[in-house]
Amino acid sequence: MNFFIQGIGAVTSLGPTALETWRSLCRGEQAPRSRIAGGLADRQYFSCPVPGKFVVEAARQPRLRRSGTLSLLGAVAGFDAISDAGLKPGGGLRDKIAIVFAICSGGVNYTRRFYHEIVTQGANRASPLLFPETVHNAAASHLAALLDVDERCYTLVGDSSVGLSALHFALELLLTRPELDRCLVVGTEEADWLLADAFASWRMATNKDQFEVYGRTCGTIFGEGAAAVLVGRTGPLEISGSSPCRPFFSVRDSESVADELFGNFSGGGSPDIIVSSANGTFADVVECKVFSQRYPSLPVYAPKPAVGEPLGAGALLQVALAGLALRFQQLPGTLCAGGKLPSVNRETRFCAAAKALITCVGFNQQVNAVKLRLI
Amino acid sequence: MQGVKKEHRVLVTGVGVVSPLGPDLSSNLRSLLEGRDAVGLVEAFDVTKTRCKTAAQIPDEWMEGALPRRRSSDRSHRGARMAAMALREACEAAKGPTPELIVVGTTSGGMSFGETFYRRLLAAKSRKGLARLVGNYTPQKPIHDALEANRLRIPAQIVANACSSGTDAIGHGFELVRQGLRTCVVCGGYDPLCELVFVGFDSLQAATPEKIRPFDKHRSGMVLGEGAAFLILESERYAAQRGATALAEIVGYGISTDTYHLTQPNPSGIGPKLAMQRALESGGLAASTIDYVNAHGTATVFNDATEGAAISELCGRVPVSSTKSMMGHALGAAGAIEAAFSVLAICQQFLPANINFTEPDPSWEFEIIGNVSRAARLNYALSNSIGFGGTNATLVLKRV
Repeated sequence: MNFFIQGIGAVTSLGPTALETWRSLCRGEQAPRSRIAGGLADRQYFSCPVPGKFVVEAARQPRLRRSGTLSLLGAVAGFDAISDAGLKPGGGLRDKIAIVFAICSGGVNYTRRFYHEIVTQGANRASPLLFPETVHNAAASHLAALLDVDERCYTLVGDSSVGLSALHFALELLLTRPELDRCLVVGTEEADWLLADAFASWRMATNKDQFEVYGRTCGTIFGEGAAAVLVGRTGPLEISGSSPCRPFFSVRDSESVADELFGNFSGGGSPDIIVSSANGTFADVVECKVFSQRYPSLPVYAPKPAVGEPLGAGALLQVALAGLALRFQQLPGTLCAGGKLPSVNRETRFCAAAKALITCVGFNQQVNAVKLRLI
Repeated sequence: MQGVKKEHRVLVTGVGVVSPLGPDLSSNLRSLLEGRDAVGLVEAFDVTKTRCKTAAQIPDEWMEGALPRRRSSDRSHRGARMAAMALREACEAAKGPTPELIVVGTTSGGMSFGETFYRRLLAAKSRKGLARLVGNYTPQKPIHDALEANRLRIPAQIVANACSSGTDAIGHGFELVRQGLRTCVVCGGYDPLCELVFVGFDSLQAATPEKIRPFDKHRSGMVLGEGAAFLILESERYAAQRGATALAEIVGYGISTDTYHLTQPNPSGIGPKLAMQRALESGGLAASTIDYVNAHGTATVFNDATEGAAISELCGRVPVSSTKSMMGHALGAAGAIEAAFSVLAICQQFLPANINFTEPDPSWEFEIIGNVSRAARLNYALSNSIGFGGTNATLVLKRV
């Protein structure tokens, strides 16, 4: 049984839709960086925030009036994917669609504010308005309400690879529930100083405003945004391989798991392009090793130096960009690429590609990969 | 991805539970039969300013030795310990299954490490040791630790559907095995108690300063609990091939999303009713076949009104209890723990009690198993979960 991507959606610091993000990336643009406000200490971090004007329409929905950025971004990307598929919300869509969300840190802004009130003002002063939005499935619930979906709605959590796990979960739903026509898979992430500081203490984030991939591993910069794909039973872009996230228990272990996952996709042969998860951390080293051995001459595109590391949205944004690369036969150039991976694609170029491999080495012991094929 | 094959029977061949009612399945069974109240004063954090001051907690000494002795084990979250223990018990009970996948529900994972991280930032203390907290607070990390401790190198799916997470994890595993996509899946949930969530429910005035009294006319709210539970699900054929003994069968799963409000269910009860109806349809069963409902039963005014209306409308005079009356609400683990309790009820042929019960609410037809468990003939049990975001999930279990 085959499944296909019917629609691609996104909202990033580079654009309010997947297509506008894509065009910016092909022009070689880098998302503007800004210092993250609200820090607790004198440590400063940069992120690639989504401009408020990109979510202003979603924020007018009564259901989203009090919701966090995470939910707003997820809704924008979800609607973009539906629109890209040539569909409209409501009508026949609601009865035969499932929703799967991919979440990493969740509503970290509301969570921080809620816990700050507990610690500084006392538990009896914490706002009940903040708490519900800290729950991981709040964003999925809001989108289900907006689409009037009354059955299958799931939220999966994990590290930056969770989007690929969510995509696989969606395929499992379509396989086990023949009455479903489609599944909308959405990954979303908001930036917050606390997240950056936490990751910096873990040596995964940098306080600079740039980071290099496949070079020196100095840590990443967080990006805000959401990405979505509408998956169905027909369409021009086949998902020819997917898997749930595979855990690894050491860095050495991660290389063997990655090698197995990136190299052993059943059927379909070797990919033509790779869209990677390189983000200036140890993930680059793992990918570099596997790509150099398995696919030494394949062009590799890493979008994160341009848009930042959008964690829960990251893997699905890679899927979205890989899908657009196959649709437009064009591969953007990787910004800030170091010299450790000679096959990294440095300039935007046209490419005759029918198969794309999307790889993810997550920061918290998860690896995954997905393969797309243009029909 | 392979296509759907014919439907398979899905057997439960192993169960592991760690809850405030006991560190393993047999001690949980004893507590259920006795109607033990495991709720006590919260010790893990300051509750002087909250209305509710109680929860059901797992003593740390029960979890000593849950993880192998290594430096990295010392850094792990206590959620990893409870998950590792329950997972080990389930695998041992199933006598050496080889699961292909783990599907786990949780809500807050290792959140207490995030709380410690934040308090240390505010206090501007040394940053030494912060990386340990960050690396172990994520919902998936305790599951990786539990897998490593049990030498299982299998893919993991972590579902965070609020308080129905555990039921949805089992439901998804059930559908994968039933449709022949997997032959053996380990499913369950875990959730350790943490301050943020405790205060969250307190701030919403959903938590009670009194005893938790599900479905009671005088109910005043919930208390929290914690724990972990795992079920080994196998296709009948795979279980037979390796000589595994079935404890129960899962025959139905239903899910619904009530879009009425983020935290309040539609008062009509349509959310849980649809989930129960879909679970029964999935098992090809009539509501009249159900012999026992292990209700979500949080004892909040809204939850019990909604769920009570749904059970009443669908199942009439069925015996109902909420085991949360004994061990509080374990959130993402609740559905898994209650599925395990339903397996126990079916295997041991008894109805677990709904303790602290004083007076029935006249709104409903069904019978509450008030205060004392009792022997009964059970062929089918239904286990409900309801969560924030309007998520509802139901499992139907069958005697084998």
